[in-house]
Amino acid sequence: MSEILFYLGAFMIIIGGICDIFGAIGLLRFPNFYIRLHAATVGTIGGAVIPLFGTSLLALGADFLPHKYAIAGASFVTGVIVLLAAPAGATALAYATHKAKLVKWEPKVDDLAEVRRND
Amino acid sequence: MKRLLGLLILFTVVIGLALYLSLPTQENLRSLGEFYLKNSYFGNYSAKSPEVVTSILWDYRGVDTLFETSVFFLAIIGSLTIFRVEMKKKERGEAKSSLPLPVPVVTKFIATLLLAISASIALHGQVTPGGGFQGGAALAVAPLLIIAAYSKYALENNGLDKTKAIVLRSIGLLGIVLIALAPLLSGGYAMQNQPIFPAEALGVPLGGSLVYYNIFEFLAVGAGFTAVFLLLAIPEEEFKRKGGAYE
Repeated sequence: MSEILFYLGAFMIIIGGICDIFGAIGLLRFPNFYIRLHAATVGTIGGAVIPLFGTSLLALGADFLPHKYAIAGASFVTGVIVLLAAPAGATALAYATHKAKLVKWEPKVDDLAEVRRND
Repeated sequence: MKRLLGLLILFTVVIGLALYLSLPTQENLRSLGEFYLKNSYFGNYSAKSPEVVTSILWDYRGVDTLFETSVFFLAIIGSLTIFRVEMKKKERGEAKSSLPLPVPVVTKFIATLLLAISASIALHGQVTPGGGFQGGAALAVAPLLIIAAYSKYALENNGLDKTKAIVLRSIGLLGIVLIALAPLLSGGYAMQNQPIFPAEALGVPLGGSLVYYNIFEFLAVGAGFTAVFLLLAIPEEEFKRKGGAYE
Protein backbone atom coordinates (compact mmCIF):
# COMPACT_ATOMS: atom_id res chain seq x y z
CA MET A 1 0.00 0.00 0.00
CA SER A 2 2.71 2.45 0.98
CA GLU A 3 4.63 1.61 -2.21
CA ILE A 4 1.62 2.44 -4.38
CA LEU A 5 1.26 5.76 -2.53
CA PHE A 6 4.98 6.44 -2.97
CA TYR A 7 4.99 5.84 -6.72
CA LEU A 8 1.75 7.76 -7.23
CA GLY A 9 3.06 10.72 -5.22
CA ALA A 10 6.43 10.71 -6.98
CA PHE A 11 4.67 10.54 -10.37
CA MET A 12 2.54 13.55 -9.45
CA ILE A 13 5.62 15.51 -8.38
CA ILE A 14 7.30 14.70 -11.71
CA ILE A 15 4.16 15.88 -13.55
CA GLY A 16 4.48 19.08 -11.54
CA GLY A 17 8.07 19.60 -12.70
CA ILE A 18 7.08 19.06 -16.34
CA CYS A 19 4.16 21.49 -16.01
CA ASP A 20 6.48 24.08 -14.47
CA ILE A 21 8.87 23.78 -17.42
CA PHE A 22 5.98 24.13 -19.89
CA GLY A 23 4.67 27.11 -17.98
CA ALA A 24 8.09 28.78 -18.03
CA ILE A 25 8.53 28.17 -21.77
CA GLY A 26 5.03 29.46 -22.40
CA LEU A 27 5.68 32.62 -20.41
CA LEU A 28 8.74 33.29 -22.57
CA ARG A 29 7.36 32.34 -25.97
CA PHE A 30 3.64 33.15 -26.00
CA PRO A 31 2.78 36.29 -27.96
CA ASN A 32 0.56 38.42 -25.71
CA PHE A 33 -0.57 38.96 -22.16
CA TYR A 34 -3.75 36.89 -22.19
CA ILE A 35 -2.10 33.77 -23.59
CA ARG A 36 0.83 34.21 -21.23
CA LEU A 37 -1.67 34.27 -18.38
CA HIS A 38 -2.71 30.82 -19.51
CA ALA A 39 0.91 29.64 -19.27
CA ALA A 40 1.20 31.12 -15.78
CA THR A 41 -1.89 29.20 -14.68
CA VAL A 42 -0.42 25.99 -16.09
CA GLY A 43 2.59 26.71 -13.90
CA THR A 44 0.50 27.20 -10.76
CA ILE A 45 -2.16 24.51 -11.15
CA GLY A 46 -0.01 21.87 -12.80
CA GLY A 47 3.23 22.89 -11.16
CA ALA A 48 2.09 23.61 -7.62
CA VAL A 49 -1.28 21.99 -6.92
CA ILE A 50 -0.55 18.53 -8.36
CA PRO A 51 2.88 18.21 -6.63
CA LEU A 52 1.27 19.32 -3.35
CA PHE A 53 -1.33 16.56 -3.66
CA GLY A 54 1.54 14.22 -4.56
CA THR A 55 3.43 15.31 -1.45
CA SER A 56 0.43 14.55 0.69
CA LEU A 57 0.18 11.04 -0.83
CA LEU A 58 3.92 10.53 -0.28
CA ALA A 59 3.60 11.60 3.34
CA LEU A 60 0.65 9.24 3.86
CA GLY A 61 2.73 6.37 2.48
CA ALA A 62 5.84 7.12 4.56
CA ASP A 63 5.45 5.14 7.77
CA PHE A 64 8.81 6.26 9.19
CA LEU A 65 7.76 9.92 9.11
CA PRO A 66 6.72 11.51 12.41
CA HIS A 67 3.50 13.55 12.20
CA LYS A 68 2.77 12.19 8.74
CA TYR A 69 -0.93 13.03 8.90
CA ALA A 70 -0.13 16.64 9.79
CA ILE A 71 2.19 16.94 6.77
CA ALA A 72 -0.31 15.25 4.46
CA GLY A 73 -3.18 17.42 5.68
CA ALA A 74 -1.21 20.64 5.46
CA SER A 75 -0.08 20.00 1.90
CA PHE A 76 -3.59 18.94 0.88
CA VAL A 77 -5.16 22.11 2.31
CA THR A 78 -2.45 24.26 0.71
CA GLY A 79 -3.13 22.53 -2.60
CA VAL A 80 -6.87 23.21 -2.35
CA ILE A 81 -6.24 26.87 -1.56
CA VAL A 82 -3.90 27.31 -4.53
CA LEU A 83 -6.35 25.40 -6.72
CA LEU A 84 -9.05 27.91 -5.79
CA ALA A 85 -6.94 31.04 -5.75
CA ALA A 86 -5.00 30.65 -9.02
CA PRO A 87 -7.99 30.71 -11.44
CA ALA A 88 -9.66 33.51 -9.50
CA GLY A 89 -6.45 35.55 -9.58
CA ALA A 90 -5.99 34.93 -13.30
CA THR A 91 -9.61 35.93 -13.94
CA ALA A 92 -9.19 39.12 -11.93
CA LEU A 93 -5.96 39.99 -13.79
CA ALA A 94 -7.49 39.36 -17.22
CA TYR A 95 -10.62 41.32 -16.31
CA ALA A 96 -8.61 44.25 -14.97
CA THR A 97 -6.34 44.46 -18.01
CA HIS A 98 -9.28 44.23 -20.36
CA LYS A 99 -11.18 46.89 -18.43
CA ALA A 100 -8.21 49.25 -18.29
CA LYS A 101 -7.43 48.60 -22.00
CA LEU A 102 -3.78 48.08 -21.14
CA VAL A 103 -3.22 45.32 -23.68
CA LYS A 104 -4.32 45.39 -27.29
CA TRP A 105 -6.97 42.75 -27.80
CA GLU A 106 -6.32 40.71 -30.91
CA PRO A 107 -8.56 37.65 -30.87
CA LYS A 108 -8.13 34.96 -33.49
CA VAL A 109 -11.66 33.72 -32.80
CA ASP A 110 -14.29 35.82 -31.09
CA ASP A 111 -17.16 33.52 -30.23
CA LEU A 112 -19.12 36.20 -28.40
CA ALA A 113 -19.09 38.55 -31.37
CA GLU A 114 -20.20 35.74 -33.70
CA VAL A 115 -23.09 34.84 -31.44
CA ARG A 116 -24.12 38.47 -31.23
CA ARG A 117 -23.96 38.84 -34.99
CA ASN A 118 -26.15 35.77 -35.54
CA ASP A 119 -28.78 36.88 -33.03
CA MET B 1 24.87 32.65 -29.30
CA LYS B 2 27.21 35.12 -27.62
CA ARG B 3 24.68 35.69 -24.86
CA LEU B 4 24.32 31.94 -24.41
CA LEU B 5 28.10 31.58 -24.07
CA GLY B 6 28.20 34.32 -21.42
CA LEU B 7 25.37 32.63 -19.58
CA LEU B 8 27.18 29.30 -19.72
CA ILE B 9 30.39 30.84 -18.33
CA LEU B 10 28.48 32.59 -15.55
CA PHE B 11 26.69 29.35 -14.70
CA THR B 12 29.98 27.41 -14.53
CA VAL B 13 31.59 30.09 -12.36
CA VAL B 14 28.64 30.13 -9.94
CA ILE B 15 28.55 26.35 -9.64
CA GLY B 16 32.35 26.20 -9.27
CA LEU B 17 32.33 28.88 -6.56
CA ALA B 18 29.50 27.10 -4.77
CA LEU B 19 31.46 23.85 -4.79
CA TYR B 20 34.68 25.60 -3.73
CA LEU B 21 33.08 27.61 -0.95
CA SER B 22 30.73 24.90 0.31
CA LEU B 23 30.82 24.86 4.07
CA PRO B 24 32.20 21.84 5.90
CA THR B 25 29.53 19.78 7.61
CA GLN B 26 29.15 20.57 11.27
CA GLU B 27 29.92 17.44 13.25
CA ASN B 28 29.28 18.64 16.79
CA LEU B 29 26.87 21.12 18.29
CA ARG B 30 28.25 24.57 18.99
CA SER B 31 28.30 25.42 22.65
CA LEU B 32 25.74 28.23 22.27
CA GLY B 33 23.35 25.96 20.40
CA GLU B 34 23.83 23.27 23.01
CA PHE B 35 23.03 25.76 25.77
CA TYR B 36 19.82 26.86 24.08
CA LEU B 37 18.72 23.30 23.34
CA LYS B 38 19.43 22.16 26.88
CA ASN B 39 17.72 25.07 28.55
CA SER B 40 14.78 25.66 26.25
CA TYR B 41 13.24 22.23 26.75
CA PHE B 42 15.08 20.21 29.38
CA GLY B 43 16.29 22.78 31.88
CA ASN B 44 14.76 23.65 35.22
CA TYR B 45 13.74 27.09 34.08
CA SER B 46 12.54 26.12 30.63
CA ALA B 47 9.07 26.69 29.25
CA LYS B 48 8.87 23.03 28.13
CA SER B 49 8.16 24.19 24.60
CA PRO B 50 9.38 21.88 21.82
CA GLU B 51 9.58 24.88 19.48
CA VAL B 52 12.96 26.38 20.34
CA VAL B 53 12.59 29.43 18.14
CA THR B 54 9.46 30.63 19.93
CA SER B 55 10.93 29.97 23.35
CA ILE B 56 14.08 31.91 22.46
CA LEU B 57 11.98 34.69 20.95
CA TRP B 58 9.73 35.19 23.96
CA ASP B 59 11.88 33.79 26.78
CA TYR B 60 15.54 34.51 26.15
CA ARG B 61 15.03 37.59 24.02
CA GLY B 62 11.64 38.57 25.44
CA VAL B 63 12.45 42.20 26.12
CA ASP B 64 13.89 42.55 22.62
CA THR B 65 10.70 41.13 21.12
CA LEU B 66 8.58 43.36 23.35
CA PHE B 67 10.42 46.42 22.02
CA GLU B 68 10.08 45.19 18.45
CA THR B 69 6.34 44.88 19.02
CA SER B 70 6.30 48.42 20.42
CA VAL B 71 8.05 49.69 17.30
CA PHE B 72 5.38 47.99 15.20
CA PHE B 73 2.66 49.66 17.27
CA LEU B 74 4.30 53.06 16.95
CA ALA B 75 4.41 52.56 13.17
CA ILE B 76 0.68 51.71 13.14
CA ILE B 77 -0.13 54.69 15.36
CA GLY B 78 1.89 56.91 13.03
CA SER B 79 -0.05 55.82 9.99
CA LEU B 80 -3.34 56.19 11.86
CA THR B 81 -2.45 59.81 12.65
CA ILE B 82 -1.45 60.59 9.09
CA PHE B 83 -4.65 59.18 7.58
CA ARG B 84 -7.02 60.74 10.03
CA VAL B 85 -10.41 61.04 8.37
CA GLU B 86 -13.65 61.38 10.28
CA MET B 87 -16.37 59.27 8.68
CA LYS B 88 -20.07 59.61 9.28
CA LYS B 89 -22.01 56.37 9.37
CA LYS B 90 -24.54 57.34 6.71
CA GLU B 91 -22.02 58.02 4.03
CA ARG B 92 -20.93 54.49 3.45
CA GLY B 93 -20.83 53.28 -0.10
CA GLU B 94 -22.15 50.11 -1.56
CA ALA B 95 -20.36 46.86 -0.86
CA LYS B 96 -20.66 45.18 -4.21
CA SER B 97 -18.00 43.50 -6.23
CA SER B 98 -17.51 44.66 -9.79
CA LEU B 99 -15.23 41.74 -10.62
CA PRO B 100 -16.40 38.62 -12.51
CA LEU B 101 -18.25 36.07 -10.39
CA PRO B 102 -15.45 33.56 -9.59
CA VAL B 103 -13.31 36.20 -7.89
CA PRO B 104 -15.69 37.29 -5.08
CA VAL B 105 -16.94 33.73 -4.49
CA VAL B 106 -13.41 32.34 -4.15
CA THR B 107 -12.42 35.31 -2.00
CA LYS B 108 -15.22 34.56 0.45
CA PHE B 109 -14.11 30.97 0.68
CA ILE B 110 -10.41 31.73 1.06
CA ALA B 111 -10.99 34.50 3.61
CA THR B 112 -12.85 31.99 5.78
CA LEU B 113 -10.08 29.41 5.35
CA LEU B 114 -7.47 32.02 6.20
CA LEU B 115 -9.09 32.70 9.57
CA ALA B 116 -8.72 29.03 10.51
CA ILE B 117 -5.21 28.71 9.10
CA SER B 118 -3.90 31.87 10.76
CA ALA B 119 -5.40 30.81 14.09
CA SER B 120 -3.69 27.44 13.77
CA ILE B 121 -0.35 29.13 12.95
CA ALA B 122 -0.66 31.34 16.02
CA LEU B 123 -2.00 28.75 18.48
CA HIS B 124 0.58 26.15 17.44
CA GLY B 125 3.44 28.58 17.94
CA GLN B 126 4.72 26.83 21.04
CA VAL B 127 4.75 23.39 19.35
CA THR B 128 5.57 23.93 15.68
CA PRO B 129 7.22 26.75 13.75
CA GLY B 130 5.03 29.82 13.49
CA GLY B 131 3.78 32.11 16.18
CA GLY B 132 1.79 35.20 16.93
CA PHE B 133 3.35 37.59 14.46
CA GLN B 134 3.22 35.16 11.55
CA GLY B 135 -0.35 34.16 12.38
CA GLY B 136 -1.39 37.79 12.67
CA ALA B 137 0.20 38.65 9.33
CA ALA B 138 -1.70 35.73 7.75
CA LEU B 139 -4.90 36.88 9.43
CA ALA B 140 -4.53 40.38 8.00
CA VAL B 141 -4.51 38.94 4.47
CA ALA B 142 -8.20 38.00 4.83
CA PRO B 143 -9.53 41.60 5.13
CA LEU B 144 -7.02 42.68 2.48
CA LEU B 145 -8.45 40.12 0.04
CA ILE B 146 -11.99 41.25 0.86
CA ILE B 147 -11.00 44.88 0.28
CA ALA B 148 -9.49 43.94 -3.08
CA ALA B 149 -12.40 41.77 -4.26
CA TYR B 150 -15.32 43.80 -2.89
CA SER B 151 -14.48 47.13 -1.31
CA LYS B 152 -13.68 48.43 2.12
CA TYR B 153 -17.39 49.02 2.64
CA ALA B 154 -17.98 45.25 2.63
CA LEU B 155 -15.96 45.07 5.84
CA GLU B 156 -17.47 48.18 7.37
CA ASN B 157 -21.08 47.19 6.68
CA ASN B 158 -20.38 43.87 8.40
CA GLY B 159 -19.15 45.59 11.54
CA LEU B 160 -15.37 45.57 11.14
CA ASP B 161 -14.52 49.24 10.90
CA LYS B 162 -11.38 51.13 11.79
CA THR B 163 -12.41 51.85 15.38
CA LYS B 164 -13.10 48.20 16.14
CA ALA B 165 -9.79 47.14 14.63
CA ILE B 166 -7.97 49.69 16.80
CA VAL B 167 -9.84 48.46 19.89
CA LEU B 168 -8.85 44.85 19.12
CA ARG B 169 -5.26 45.93 18.57
CA SER B 170 -5.25 47.73 21.92
CA ILE B 171 -6.64 44.62 23.65
CA GLY B 172 -3.77 42.62 22.15
CA LEU B 173 -1.15 45.11 23.32
CA LEU B 174 -2.69 45.29 26.78
CA GLY B 175 -2.68 41.51 27.00
CA ILE B 176 1.02 41.31 26.13
CA VAL B 177 1.89 43.92 28.77
CA LEU B 178 -0.26 42.19 31.42
CA ILE B 179 1.29 38.79 30.69
CA ALA B 180 4.73 40.39 30.89
CA LEU B 181 3.93 41.98 34.26
CA ALA B 182 1.99 39.03 35.75
CA PRO B 183 5.07 37.22 37.18
CA LEU B 184 5.86 40.28 39.34
CA LEU B 185 2.75 39.53 41.43
CA SER B 186 3.98 36.10 42.49
CA GLY B 187 7.53 37.10 43.24
CA GLY B 188 9.12 36.57 39.81
CA TYR B 189 10.77 38.97 37.39
CA ALA B 190 9.08 40.80 34.54
CA MET B 191 8.64 38.55 31.47
CA GLN B 192 9.65 35.47 33.44
CA ASN B 193 8.09 32.25 32.23
CA GLN B 194 8.58 29.20 34.43
CA PRO B 195 7.41 28.27 36.98
CA ILE B 196 4.80 31.00 37.09
CA PHE B 197 2.71 29.76 34.17
CA PRO B 198 1.61 26.12 33.75
CA ALA B 199 3.71 24.20 31.24
CA GLU B 200 0.81 22.12 29.93
CA ALA B 201 -2.91 21.72 30.30
CA LEU B 202 -4.98 18.59 29.49
CA GLY B 203 -1.92 16.96 27.95
CA VAL B 204 -1.34 19.82 25.50
CA PRO B 205 2.03 21.57 25.84
CA LEU B 206 1.37 25.26 26.39
CA GLY B 207 4.94 26.44 26.74
CA GLY B 208 4.11 28.46 29.85
CA SER B 209 3.46 32.06 28.89
CA LEU B 210 4.38 31.50 25.23
CA VAL B 211 0.85 30.58 24.18
CA TYR B 212 -0.63 33.72 25.76
CA TYR B 213 1.98 35.95 24.17
CA ASN B 214 1.21 34.29 20.83
CA ILE B 215 -2.55 34.76 21.16
CA PHE B 216 -2.28 38.44 22.06
CA GLU B 217 0.37 39.13 19.43
CA PHE B 218 -1.89 37.40 16.88
CA LEU B 219 -4.79 39.68 17.81
CA ALA B 220 -2.66 42.79 17.89
CA VAL B 221 -0.81 42.26 14.61
CA GLY B 222 -3.89 41.09 12.71
CA ALA B 223 -6.06 43.97 13.89
CA GLY B 224 -3.26 46.53 13.48
CA PHE B 225 -2.65 45.59 9.87
CA THR B 226 -6.41 45.52 9.24
CA ALA B 227 -6.77 49.08 10.57
CA VAL B 228 -4.00 50.31 8.27
CA PHE B 229 -5.45 48.46 5.25
CA LEU B 230 -8.87 50.00 5.94
CA LEU B 231 -7.31 53.46 6.02
CA LEU B 232 -5.26 52.90 2.87
CA ALA B 233 -8.41 51.76 1.05
CA ILE B 234 -10.15 55.13 1.46
CA PRO B 235 -10.78 56.53 -2.02
CA GLU B 236 -8.71 59.64 -2.70
CA GLU B 237 -11.72 61.78 -3.60
CA GLU B 238 -13.34 61.05 -0.29
CA PHE B 239 -10.11 61.74 1.55
CA LYS B 240 -9.83 65.17 -0.03
CA ARG B 241 -13.51 65.95 0.52
CA LYS B 242 -13.28 65.18 4.23
CA GLY B 243 -10.45 67.65 4.69
CA GLY B 244 -7.75 65.07 5.01
CA ALA B 245 -5.50 66.92 2.62
CA TYR B 246 -4.97 70.56 1.71
CA GLU B 247 -5.33 71.49 -1.90
